[in-house]
Amino acid sequence: MMGNRFLSRVTVVAIVAWVAVAMTLVTAQTPGYKAPRAPDGKPNLNGIWQAINTANWDIEAHSAAPSPVLELGAAGAVPGGLGVVEGGPLPYRPEALAKRNENRANRLKLDPEVKCYLPGVPRASYMGFPFQIIQSQKHVMLVHEYAGAVRTVYMTDQVEAPADSWMGWSNGRWEGESLVVDTKGFNDLSWFDRAGNFHSDALHVVERFTARSADTLNYEVTVEDPKVFTRPWKMSMPLYRRVEPNAQILEFRCVEFVEDLLYGHLRKQPSQ
Amino acid sequence: MRALLVVVAACAGLLLAVGQARAHHAFAAEFDVTKPVTLKGSLVKWEMVNPHSWFHVAVKEPDGTVTEWLIEGGSPNQLIRMGVTKNTVSIGTELTIEGYRAKDGGLKAVGRNFVLADGSRLFLGGSAPGATGGDKK
Amino acid sequence: MNSRSLVSVGAVVLGVAVLSANIAGQAPAPAAKAAPAAKPPAAKAYTPPKTPDGQPDLQGFWTNSTYVPFERPQGVTKEFYTPDEAEAAIKAAAAREAEQTEPGTAADVHYDFSQFGLDRSQSKFAYSLRTSLVVDPPDGKVPPVNAQGQKRAAERAAARKLAGGPYDAVQNMAIGSRCIIMGGSGPPMMNAGYNANYQIVQSPGYVMILTEMIHDVRVIPLDNRAQPPQDVRQWIGLSRGRWEGNTLVVETTNFNGKNAFRGASENMKVTERFTRVADDVIDYKFTIEDPATWDRAWTADAPLARTEGPIFEFACHETNYGIANILAGARAEEKQKAERAKKGSN
Repeated sequence: MMGNRFLSRVTVVAIVAWVAVAMTLVTAQTPGYKAPRAPDGKPNLNGIWQAINTANWDIEAHSAAPSPVLELGAAGAVPGGLGVVEGGPLPYRPEALAKRNENRANRLKLDPEVKCYLPGVPRASYMGFPFQIIQSQKHVMLVHEYAGAVRTVYMTDQVEAPADSWMGWSNGRWEGESLVVDTKGFNDLSWFDRAGNFHSDALHVVERFTARSADTLNYEVTVEDPKVFTRPWKMSMPLYRRVEPNAQILEFRCVEFVEDLLYGHLRKQPSQ
Repeated sequence: MRALLVVVAACAGLLLAVGQARAHHAFAAEFDVTKPVTLKGSLVKWEMVNPHSWFHVAVKEPDGTVTEWLIEGGSPNQLIRMGVTKNTVSIGTELTIEGYRAKDGGLKAVGRNFVLADGSRLFLGGSAPGATGGDKK
Repeated sequence: MNSRSLVSVGAVVLGVAVLSANIAGQAPAPAAKAAPAAKPPAAKAYTPPKTPDGQPDLQGFWTNSTYVPFERPQGVTKEFYTPDEAEAAIKAAAAREAEQTEPGTAADVHYDFSQFGLDRSQSKFAYSLRTSLVVDPPDGKVPPVNAQGQKRAAERAAARKLAGGPYDAVQNMAIGSRCIIMGGSGPPMMNAGYNANYQIVQSPGYVMILTEMIHDVRVIPLDNRAQPPQDVRQWIGLSRGRWEGNTLVVETTNFNGKNAFRGASENMKVTERFTRVADDVIDYKFTIEDPATWDRAWTADAPLARTEGPIFEFACHETNYGIANILAGARAEEKQKAERAKKGSN
């Protein structure tokens, strides 16, 4: 009799421990957390948000590594990261993997971030810059500091993308506590990170923004691109609220910063 | 009557939009006014991009070879508001394009007029989306 | 002018006619067919709807495309045209826009705006009977630039001369051509010429204004926060907003001085006032203060008319092939000139 009670107690403790461990492995919410309501009754996701991780360096698990620019020394070196892609390496098609590796080997020349090009989705969400969610009934706007990138999420009057763009065409809806953003109509020019991970114009991204506490969101992304990957894959990460009272999106108008890089070779040279 | 004429005359000079004035200047530096071209070919791709869109056109030379030209057009944004999409102009559409060749010598030109096989101007006239009607040259 | 824009003119006339009367601040005069009525009769006051959090609702797609010149033309002394005069001026301008250019001239070296729907008459514009957007000083002209401002202008001109020809380097080219910023962003927000569109979205504590070219966003906080530090400077400055009744008042400072608005210094202060005066009209006024350039403040009134979306992404720098073409073309011309000179001297 005593043995059974002891065993059942151990079992209960083990289950509780397992659940606690499982909850730390995913970006678990405070159980049952619900964001305050926006004035129209929807979850209030308004605010300035920023990711704190190394996803913009490399969305897959990676070790620390030297800077590709010698003069930057440690200031330009790559921090290690446990990766934000769920379930291991990205499921590239074989020819696409070769292209990814070629991108990586030539990334100073090829990474669109270096040229101050618009970052695409979901990269814009986890660059080292904040973005602001401005939520209204018809439109939810995502306003990014990096390169002034902006995304309009159409909550009503939804149509298909009329043409391809860098930030895609987003249609959104509420599913319970989550803002679900469905985006297509991408061109094939942006990357997922500085490590050469890329996509085609068949890219289809579904993001879920869910409040997990007063000052954090769960950000879950499903990526589908049959031209590049053998199956859809998922990434997830917390987004942290910028809580300082004067937090605001500033200008990072980087075109000026790259003009000599892009056009310096076309400058008029002083005559000999 | 005279006041009205003054109004009209005075307005005319001032009503050239700032953006248009600037664009005129830069285009005359990009393309050569002494090198007009008329290109006949089929659409390979319409890059609906800004600040100016670009038409990739396969042009058949007299000797039968095919060259691909890049022709500069306008921003697609207002056409999109008028209902034009990436499916509006099909790949293979026959086009006759009058314009001026790029100063840097490449197979590039600015398209002054884009004319379809039936003689109507692209995006204008008849049943085309965004048609403003009556603008046949 | 086509029937589509005549309709849009008609749709906006009533609202902005009301607007004109309100700005004049005078008691409404009855419409008299005999006497020349410069100002139309006022309609009853408009109460804008509210957003869910209680702000007056400015949301939607708006345009500041207009046929009204910035300053009052020479020879015009009155503040308002009659509706007939305004109509005639618009018709003449629209006809001029639709004119075909002469082949072999510099003006012909361009795609045809009307083929891409980019003529003013091909989309909605803000109709107004005003003879100028500048309303103060009362003569409808920007005040003269003072001595300090003239000195700065001379310094800028000297610097431009030192920099060489307009296509010697990308930095010598117009800021808009470089896809850094265009005139629609401001502040103050000016008519961009085409794609002169804005999207306004409001959330608690913020008004967001998206300018179509170049996907420029101003996020204006309404929480009476402290002025930003002097050392943070931006192309669009830093804005702080507040509601005064139904009018959004936005004050902007901290400009970086690289894109001098009509010669202004980096210490220019812009005060904008947005008031929705009809379902499809926002009265937009801006006042410029810059003692380093003008000895008095001056004000313009440039209404926004409701228009259609969407605003498609105006990614500019990413596909700005023209810069490389122009620079390469200039280098090619120099090379040809040098080769011809060499041949000539042999």
